[in-house]
Amino acid sequence: MADKEATVYIVDVGKSMGKHRHGRAKTDLEWGMEYVWDKITTTVATGRKTATVGVVGLRTDGTENELQADDSFEHISVIQNIGQVLMPDIRKLREVLKPSSTDAGDAVSSIVLAIQMISSYTKRLKYKRKIVLVTNAEGLMNNDGIDEIAKKIKEDGIELVILGVDFDDPEYGVKEEDKDSQKAYNETLLRALVEDCEGVFGTLEQAIEELDIPRIKVIKSNPSFKGFLQLGDAEEYSTAFRIPVERYYKTYVAKAPPASQFALRSDTSTGFESAESSATVAPQPNAQEGQESTLTTVRSLRTYQITDESAPGGKVDVERDDLAKGYEYGRTAVHISETDENITVLETFAALELIGFVQSDKYDRYMHISNVNVIIAQRTNDKAILALSSFIHALFELDCYAVARLVVKENKAPLVVLLAPSIEPDYECLHEVQLPFAEDVRTYRFPPLDKVITVSGKVITEHRNLPNDALLDAMSEYVDSMELVDVDENGEPVETLPIDDSYSALVHRLDSAIRYRAVHPQGPVPPPSDILTRFSLPPENLVKKGEKYLENLIAAAEVKKVPPKAKGRKRTRETEKPLSGLDVDELLHQEKRVKISPNNAIPEFKQTLSHADDLNTVKDAVNQMVVIIQDQIRHSLGDANYDRAIEGLSTMRDELIAYEWPKLYNDFLQQLKEDILQEKLGGDRRELWWLIRRTKVGLIDKTMSDQSEISEEEARKFMSAK
Amino acid sequence: MAEGYPPRDDEMEEEEEEVDETSYKSVKDAVLFAIEVSESMLTPRVSSDPKKTAKESPTTAALKCAYHLMQQRIISNPRDMIGVLLYGTEASKFYGEDESSRGDLSYPHCYLFTDLDVPAAEDVKKLRSLVEEEEKAQEILVASKEKVSMANVLFCANQIFTSKASNFLSRRLFIVSDNDDPHSDNKAQRSAATVRARDLYDLGVTIELFPISRSDHEFDTSRFYDDIIYKSSPTDADAPAYLQPDTKVATATDNGISLLNSLLSSINSRSVPRRALFSNVPLEIGPNFKISINGYLMFKRQEPARSCYVWLGGETPQIAKGVTTQIADDTARTVEKWEIRKAYKFGGEQVTFTADEQQVLRTFGDPVIRIIGFKPLSALPFWANVKHPTFIYPTEEDFVGSTRVFSALQQKLAKDQKLALVWFIPRRNAAPVLAAMLAGVEKVDENGVQKFPPGMWLIPLPFADDVRQNPDTTLTVAPEPLIDQMRAVVQQLQLPKAVYEPQKYPNPSLQWHYRILQALALDEDLPEQPEDKTVPKYRQIDKRAGDYVLAWSDELDKQYEKLSAGVTKTSTLVKRPAGDRSGKEEGTRPAKKVKAETPANIDEEVQKSFDKGMVSRLTMAVLKDFLTAHGRSTAGKKADLVERVEEFLEYKS
Repeated sequence: MADKEATVYIVDVGKSMGKHRHGRAKTDLEWGMEYVWDKITTTVATGRKTATVGVVGLRTDGTENELQADDSFEHISVIQNIGQVLMPDIRKLREVLKPSSTDAGDAVSSIVLAIQMISSYTKRLKYKRKIVLVTNAEGLMNNDGIDEIAKKIKEDGIELVILGVDFDDPEYGVKEEDKDSQKAYNETLLRALVEDCEGVFGTLEQAIEELDIPRIKVIKSNPSFKGFLQLGDAEEYSTAFRIPVERYYKTYVAKAPPASQFALRSDTSTGFESAESSATVAPQPNAQEGQESTLTTVRSLRTYQITDESAPGGKVDVERDDLAKGYEYGRTAVHISETDENITVLETFAALELIGFVQSDKYDRYMHISNVNVIIAQRTNDKAILALSSFIHALFELDCYAVARLVVKENKAPLVVLLAPSIEPDYECLHEVQLPFAEDVRTYRFPPLDKVITVSGKVITEHRNLPNDALLDAMSEYVDSMELVDVDENGEPVETLPIDDSYSALVHRLDSAIRYRAVHPQGPVPPPSDILTRFSLPPENLVKKGEKYLENLIAAAEVKKVPPKAKGRKRTRETEKPLSGLDVDELLHQEKRVKISPNNAIPEFKQTLSHADDLNTVKDAVNQMVVIIQDQIRHSLGDANYDRAIEGLSTMRDELIAYEWPKLYNDFLQQLKEDILQEKLGGDRRELWWLIRRTKVGLIDKTMSDQSEISEEEARKFMSAK
Repeated sequence: MAEGYPPRDDEMEEEEEEVDETSYKSVKDAVLFAIEVSESMLTPRVSSDPKKTAKESPTTAALKCAYHLMQQRIISNPRDMIGVLLYGTEASKFYGEDESSRGDLSYPHCYLFTDLDVPAAEDVKKLRSLVEEEEKAQEILVASKEKVSMANVLFCANQIFTSKASNFLSRRLFIVSDNDDPHSDNKAQRSAATVRARDLYDLGVTIELFPISRSDHEFDTSRFYDDIIYKSSPTDADAPAYLQPDTKVATATDNGISLLNSLLSSINSRSVPRRALFSNVPLEIGPNFKISINGYLMFKRQEPARSCYVWLGGETPQIAKGVTTQIADDTARTVEKWEIRKAYKFGGEQVTFTADEQQVLRTFGDPVIRIIGFKPLSALPFWANVKHPTFIYPTEEDFVGSTRVFSALQQKLAKDQKLALVWFIPRRNAAPVLAAMLAGVEKVDENGVQKFPPGMWLIPLPFADDVRQNPDTTLTVAPEPLIDQMRAVVQQLQLPKAVYEPQKYPNPSLQWHYRILQALALDEDLPEQPEDKTVPKYRQIDKRAGDYVLAWSDELDKQYEKLSAGVTKTSTLVKRPAGDRSGKEEGTRPAKKVKAETPANIDEEVQKSFDKGMVSRLTMAVLKDFLTAHGRSTAGKKADLVERVEEFLEYKS
């Protein structure tokens, strides 16, 4: 469990905070709020009740606080008492935190108030206590009793953070010219206070810049396995050894915040009816306000159907209660009674058992197929730690990895894992990763890249698919020039990958967008921060360095883009000969296939088109196909012929795109749709129409064929309408 | 979810991420075996080695392969179809037709033994009986005296594919034959066959040949088959380019066993349709310099299919298909997909984005593999891994010259042991990752058959967000003598050739799952003992390393004594090492059924209680420790634990 937190934000809303300074588009307050909102929303996003926040307004028009009897606490208002912040609070804060019409109010007093708030809220319980003050330090401040205050802050264990607009910070490089003397005095005073209580004092610009660095959630892992690393069978042999170990995640992909599904409520969503009839509805973007009332959750409702030839449509619904659990074995249903529920589960016992050892230099790194875990000896068991250490060092000294069988829990499936030693000056462990089983390897075979073997078995080393020496040299020089060199804090080059500096783009993009939207319901979401896409391009200096080698490489490579037209059909033509190169077209000609036969329709249709010398032949072939497809539909028992009809359609579609005569297809499809909807093709064929939509064999639009008269929009409409 | 195991992954999220890979898997494949039945195909190949008496004729070997593939694909590709067509048989059988039918047979001497479909238990059973039962074989496996027309065979296959596997992206005809020139004397028949082969090609069916040589004659594809086999499938643009035939022609000298094995291995290698995970993604080597590549999924964890619901109301059990509809909670009306909005919980409410905004948030550019620099291979730590890699291979589809450039890069990276750091977006709207791109060199087995292709591998790296901190623990480095002893143990137990061969380790729980299902589906006896190749070879371990382990164990005791003596002497803050606490020590000790030196040994304590029938008197802590030590679950109430312990000890004695 994370620690409980209590943080009070003191926001200076004095009249002077409403000013724009030094050419900034934002007022001091708007600028400061960027920081405050970021911090508050980060806390809200955790959803934790124990992460509490309070907000105090400084230099407010009115006065509202528990110490207001004392007039040094004038113009300070508690806007939000310490507690969990929820959306309504955010909306309220957004309303209230506006520049006031006064500059009166003492920042030091507001800190005292915040201390008071925290101490009465947290009592003496364990909390992370923090006060954040954002101000331009322009009002009058009173340094009475400031030593006492610092002492109290330290005693209570409160972290004090003061961020100032245009505060001088020689280290960061901010110095405000012509600084107001009052402000200079205040800055010195606040700095002294912070230094006394070991807090943080900084200039706002730096704080805001640092907001861009994504914050990484630190997650404490629980062990996913506690058991023994063992060699041999301890039940059978006296020579087995067992070392108690624990297993934790080393890597685990951070998940983006989960989304849930919602729909607009029917009763409040006016315009819903009109929305439905249009093909391109996007939910209205302005439906953000007061969303609790316009959205309703979406639930999944599952029904079950079985095939029944006698039923209309061939399917009937069955009750969930009439169903038993089972598995598919091929197309046979295997039913498993409740008592046998675990019959297919392999009986196993938890253990990490060594199978054998492999040489690390013979291991192919690409065999890693999972995330990685850390294995350490049982904590506080010194003997186990000693034993595992000898194992780790032995592997390390022999350049070996261990292959082991891991069962994390009784009756869980065994995994084969690889164990590698990891030895750092202050930490020793094994790293564990899963290896593929026989069934997990797919066989793909590809020709060699350094030679070409001809059909007759001859080995060729010069070929258009092989690089010549010039290309090899150019590539080598380019690769060498593009070597990434990172340096550590001391400027020493380090041979590591920039894992620590790379952040999950999706996770942080979504996270910041959600927080931004919570505070700014209107308006576009800002683009991702640069740091997320830092590694999307090679570093500029490297590009410059490699420039001339790249030019050489491009020249040696002679790579040519394939023009879009030549893609697809035209090029597959050349492969349309059997291995021997025999001209089958010649033979086809001799056969004189006049009519397309329904039982060999697709090949004959393609062949007829490829021989077509005039447009009439194409048209005629299409007409024949149309009749064949219509017949298939008309005579289909249930959905028996649907797949076949779809295949016919998609063949026609592809061919007519290639022959640049989309109209023939489009006309037919429009007719077909009408026929289906009017039940002219042997009854209710709506399921076929649904299949046509799903398999996307719709109208050929302009983006697919220049000859088409159908716009993309029309094609989409045609498909979506029922 | 007993003791703080990490929570299950959010399944919804998982699905969203993996969606492309599952759709990739759902590309359905239909394989039809066409196995020739002739005198020579039915003649058993006798082994030259008198000790190996197994006889196997080419036809039965092919049938066994088909049977094997059928079983295997039920596991690996449960939606794929498979069928068996025998040709050259005396008998004929096609949909609703056989010798007794009136009129002419459409396809004489073609016997459709297993119709092309997702296999049912019945099909598996029938095929097995043909392979195993003499009687059955004698009935059907009879060669026709008349010659069968190849044109007819091919058209027969055409009809089967047309009616049964419409709209399959991958359709393949596996021809097994020892006759390399079926129509040597009849030119017209030969031409007819080439035309029918062209039909199959235009239909999108790929013919794959499994040739078998005769004892007096090497199979020569140029005599006939080169005229009917095409280089690639016209419909499946994602299939990789044609390769050298990887099949070794099964040779004349092959005895039955090796004939079967070589057929099996070549069929296995083509058992999965070769399809790309993504195609024509640009590999950007430098600004304005791109080539095109395809990506393949070489490793993918195979899981047992999920359980389903079975309807038992009819004569035969039927699988009930689940249909999910989304309904709005307020009015229970059905909600269409486009109406659904994504919302995120925030501050007790929902924060929403429009579909367009959602789209923008997820978009980081078009699919690309962009090199941002190079590093030595040693910069890639063992632990920097989050999932399986992607294999990439060049294609000339978008950029002519891609192959030679890719080859130059691959050779350079392999030679200099370098990796490229890449920004990788595999498909539209996929979240970008940083990946290490390494060269993979071709690996072949002892027969020269490719095991791993040459190409490059993309290994997605963890982001800083994905790296967990090491759990706290104390460090005690083992002293040299102890390490020396362990080294001896490790040296004794190297795997063959000191490498891990995935092929040697089938997934035991996956195999067991389907083995049981098969037994249930076919009404067989349930197997008793699972075959589990992942279980270590205990006897060998004892024999080879036993003495070394004992030596290590003694050294460990010695070193530990020294260590704890040191601790107690120097430290007064006595936090005694856990190992000294009673009951724990067993942990590190070699589990010799120990020479009763530790009275507090937990095994003994429990055993004693058991003998006295007083297991229930033991404390929860002892019970749990005992069960954990034996890999048993510690979930449940005390009574459950007691029962489990008693069961364990009863079974043992």
